[in-house]
Amino acid sequence: MEKYSPKLVCFSCKFGWGYLSDEPALASRITNWIPVICSGKIDTSHILKAFRAGADGVLILGCSEGHCHYQDGNIQTEKKVLLLQKVLETFGIEPERLKIRFSVDAEGKSIPLLINTMEKKLVKLGPIKRL
Amino acid sequence: MVDKPKVAIYWLGACAGCDESIVDLNEAILQVVEAVDIVLWPVAMDFKYTHIESMQDGEVALSILSGSVRNSDHEEMARLLRKKSKLVLAFGACACFGGTAGLANFKTKEDIFNWVYRDAPTVVNPENKFPQTETQINGMTLTLPEFYDHVYTLDQIIDVDYYLPGCPPPPDLIANAVNAVVSGDLPPKGSTLAPRMALCDTCSRNKKKPSKMEIRQIKRIHEVEADPDSCFLAEGIICLGPATRSGCGETCIKTNIPCRGCFGPPPGVVGAGPKYLSALTSLIKAETDEEVREIIDSIVDPAGYFYRFTQPSSILGRKKPGKHMEE
Repeated sequence: MEKYSPKLVCFSCKFGWGYLSDEPALASRITNWIPVICSGKIDTSHILKAFRAGADGVLILGCSEGHCHYQDGNIQTEKKVLLLQKVLETFGIEPERLKIRFSVDAEGKSIPLLINTMEKKLVKLGPIKRL
Repeated sequence: MVDKPKVAIYWLGACAGCDESIVDLNEAILQVVEAVDIVLWPVAMDFKYTHIESMQDGEVALSILSGSVRNSDHEEMARLLRKKSKLVLAFGACACFGGTAGLANFKTKEDIFNWVYRDAPTVVNPENKFPQTETQINGMTLTLPEFYDHVYTLDQIIDVDYYLPGCPPPPDLIANAVNAVVSGDLPPKGSTLAPRMALCDTCSRNKKKPSKMEIRQIKRIHEVEADPDSCFLAEGIICLGPATRSGCGETCIKTNIPCRGCFGPPPGVVGAGPKYLSALTSLIKAETDEEVREIIDSIVDPAGYFYRFTQPSSILGRKKPGKHMEE
């Protein structure tokens, strides 16, 4: 049987994550990585479209609490994520498949690691059953 | 004498509320009958399907179809009326977006059958009988339509010319739609025959909306005595007005009930559910993470609430018809 490799989409805030990194070099190491101007810019429909398009999980990396360049974009997205997780569950998508993490990593070194950690969890969950 | 334009009115997976709304045209329905020749309307008049089958393709000027497509009978009639009609109007929330019946898509066909024919406390079915599409009795074959594993919107099955949402659509918009067809003064194909604004734009309660809204506690409509003039959201009561098209006549709002979203999203919005979710969470105000979680946890059945009328047309809920359903 072919080994299951989950598809993960990672959105990250450009202010907190990887702004000192060589973005193209980092992007070449991770697939489906989408740096955005602020995690608050991520719309719920972006997340849903990722799942619709075949993502097995979505990881959002925002700035630490109190450090959002646009005041509280990270907190606004966290609230969306918490409620969206409940909605996803009704659609048959486990809440663990959508994760938000607040921190700062200027060089973005931890991004591949965080993706890898979440991918391991997605392997355990297996493919989404209902979509 | 010039023949009057022929109109067919048909229900698919519907409750007849949409038909009732046509009856609610009251005296105006006499003018409609004067202007058009109704050739099919199962809820009100006795016509045979064979009568429609014997018609020329495109002979019917307008088919007004309410209801979602849930079984093979719905599909067959939708396809037949599409073939015989110049114009098809998706009539009501179910035909346009799937409607409340579309919430069944949160369950599988198996879940639904098990509950309805076996597990519900009121069911007595000792022989464990489930509906079959074919049954042999005394050498005869009895057939039933096939129950699909998904609720579809009308435009997922057939080409639709116009949309008139609502649960049910209000009589003034019905009269406008019929007049537009009779007079030939029609908007571009694919248009929704309703205003383009969001409900909040026309809501009378908007005047009393505070400039800055903050929700610190979610309240359910039956738990409080809502002020009949205040914005529901400002009181912490979930109201889908911000993500819903106006035109309904605000029947719910006027009877002190928040909007449930039966008019679907305003133009340009794919999926009222996620848009509303974003709008609602942006209003939630709390000092700590725990408080945020507490408020969010107090929202009962968010998927059922935000997708009440639109699950089958939503980003995650929509599904392509199965291969057996393709022409």
